[in-house]
Amino acid sequence: MIEKPNPLLQVEDLKMYFPIKSGFFSKPKVLKAVDNVNFSIQKGETMGLVGESGCGKTTVGRTILRLYNPTGGKIVYGGEDLTHLSDKEMFPYRKKMQMIFQDPYTSLDPRMTVGSIIEAPLKVHNLYQGKDREDRVRELIQMVGLKPDHINRYPHEFSGGQRQRIGIARALAVEPEFIVCDEPISALDVSIQAQVINILEEFQEKFHFSYLFISHDLSMVRHISNKVGVMYLGHLIEYASVEEMYQNMQHPYTKSLLSAVPIADPKKAAESQRVVLQGDVPSPINPPSGCPFRTRCPYAKKVCEEQVPQLKKLNEDHMVACHLV
Amino acid sequence: MSNEKNTLLEVNNLHTSFHTSEGVVQSVRGITFHVDRGESLGIVGESGCGKSVTMLSIMRLLDDNAKLEADSILFDGEDLSKKTKKEMRPIQGNRIGMIFQDPMTSLNPLFTVGEQIKNPLKRHQNLSGKKAEEKAIQMLERVGIPDPAKRIHQYPHELSGGMRQRVMIAIAMCCEPELLIADEPTTALDVTIQAQILDLMKNLKEEYHSSIILITHDLGVIAGVCSRIVVMYGGLIMEEGTTEDIFYRTAHPYTAGLLSSIPKEETKQKLIPIPGTPPDLLNPPKGCPFAARCKHARKLCKEQAPGFIQLSEEHRAACWLLHPAVKQKLGEVKIR
Repeated sequence: MIEKPNPLLQVEDLKMYFPIKSGFFSKPKVLKAVDNVNFSIQKGETMGLVGESGCGKTTVGRTILRLYNPTGGKIVYGGEDLTHLSDKEMFPYRKKMQMIFQDPYTSLDPRMTVGSIIEAPLKVHNLYQGKDREDRVRELIQMVGLKPDHINRYPHEFSGGQRQRIGIARALAVEPEFIVCDEPISALDVSIQAQVINILEEFQEKFHFSYLFISHDLSMVRHISNKVGVMYLGHLIEYASVEEMYQNMQHPYTKSLLSAVPIADPKKAAESQRVVLQGDVPSPINPPSGCPFRTRCPYAKKVCEEQVPQLKKLNEDHMVACHLV
Repeated sequence: MSNEKNTLLEVNNLHTSFHTSEGVVQSVRGITFHVDRGESLGIVGESGCGKSVTMLSIMRLLDDNAKLEADSILFDGEDLSKKTKKEMRPIQGNRIGMIFQDPMTSLNPLFTVGEQIKNPLKRHQNLSGKKAEEKAIQMLERVGIPDPAKRIHQYPHELSGGMRQRVMIAIAMCCEPELLIADEPTTALDVTIQAQILDLMKNLKEEYHSSIILITHDLGVIAGVCSRIVVMYGGLIMEEGTTEDIFYRTAHPYTAGLLSSIPKEETKQKLIPIPGTPPDLLNPPKGCPFAARCKHARKLCKEQAPGFIQLSEEHRAACWLLHPAVKQKLGEVKIR
């Protein structure tokens, strides 16, 4: 079942709109980055969130952590409603929820040593004191596969994969329950990607973390996730367990997205039937009426123009937002 | 090896190094390969393995601090390595076209798209005024840009990433080059746009009977596009063969490591990463560059670089495990 009772994180009708500056006399515009998104994550579970750039997947991750103030909807974490908490009230939750960023080159302060980067969250939350804290930092560095003598070095002395390990150690420092991984491997080489994914999986087994794994790499999402959500122009258009999603996908966008993934096997690549989408994603400032995907959908009908399709239950493990399903 | 008539490009023993404040970086350390007419050759490798530097060496687009040494770089019988900058001009952008990774930084933001397509047409084909404009519009239409007569007056920032890469392709292809070098052409793009661009490149290649060198780190992209593959690591070629050789008859442990690092479609089995990181080319290792990360490495591998072992007419790999004497001692070692 895709929606079980008592989830760790529940997102209900989440909306995040950004105002856009426009001319003095013209009507102010809004960019609907996230519009009515619903999903939940259980303890120890990984939810993959996929879509093209600009579809709002990163905004979902950041809004859940209250790095933005949501325009509407609800974020419920461990039974508590986080949506309207003040910064001060959010503080204890910052320890439980952490984030790993996409770009290991810009997410580490170049003027701090690795030791002080990893120590920073411990200081903020006042965990471990004196010698214990030092030991904890050493322990974390070893956990992610770096050497203890790396502690006094600066980020520029490390390769991309090693920096991403530092980012992971920093996220793990406060022993969180839930981690948003925002494209954690897209800046890394193939052979290093597998190293980082294995670390994430290993820690999930050990500490029962829940992950929100944001990525555009559909084969890696399939590998790591228990369930998958597909986003398009701020909407969640399909949501299913990983087995359902990859065997029985229903939405025309999901189908074309998956068929566009290059297959690393020449025989299968030659056999595969590609549904190549035409055109680009429309602008989220001026989205099409009705279904957001209708301008690129090969099956679009009149009803798609008139009504926004709602996420409907197909079976216990599968929800899809399409008029034609 | 292919007969001479069919070979378009032949690179023999290319060395490229850069003089930096920290010392000499030996980016490419003696590589030999060829491209046939009408063929798509893929070059795979991690960042820093020398794949982009190889292409810049062929195009002679290296910075002043670079040193290029090669026995020869034969393009249609002419040795590019001996040419002066001026002599290279009629080849660059005319007989060899190039597409770069990031369409945002490789287009000039101060000129309209039309100006930038007309530039090579003026220089190489003596087209000017109306004729150049017509050809530019025709080219934009060919690469699938809607409303080309209007787009031609727009600047790069007015276009999306996919559109910009189409413009780059239009510029590279407008003089109908015999060879197109594409350096990570789809890395900055979304998967759906990537599929569009790869299809476009395949179609244009057929239409103009060009050859393609596709540089990428994505084995999936290469499997769908290329017929032959060169695998590079630490400035050297590790393995070369047809796409089937590389994927189904993998001979080099590095290639095998790359293949097992990517998730398999159906199974959820654990990924097997390659431990460690690529070598520092300021002080390249004495032996095989992959020895430090290779689980089959022996003392010999660290001391002496292996030579190529020819496995079939088109398939060769540089690994001691394939050497007859080592094989006799150890037997067949399973690398995958």
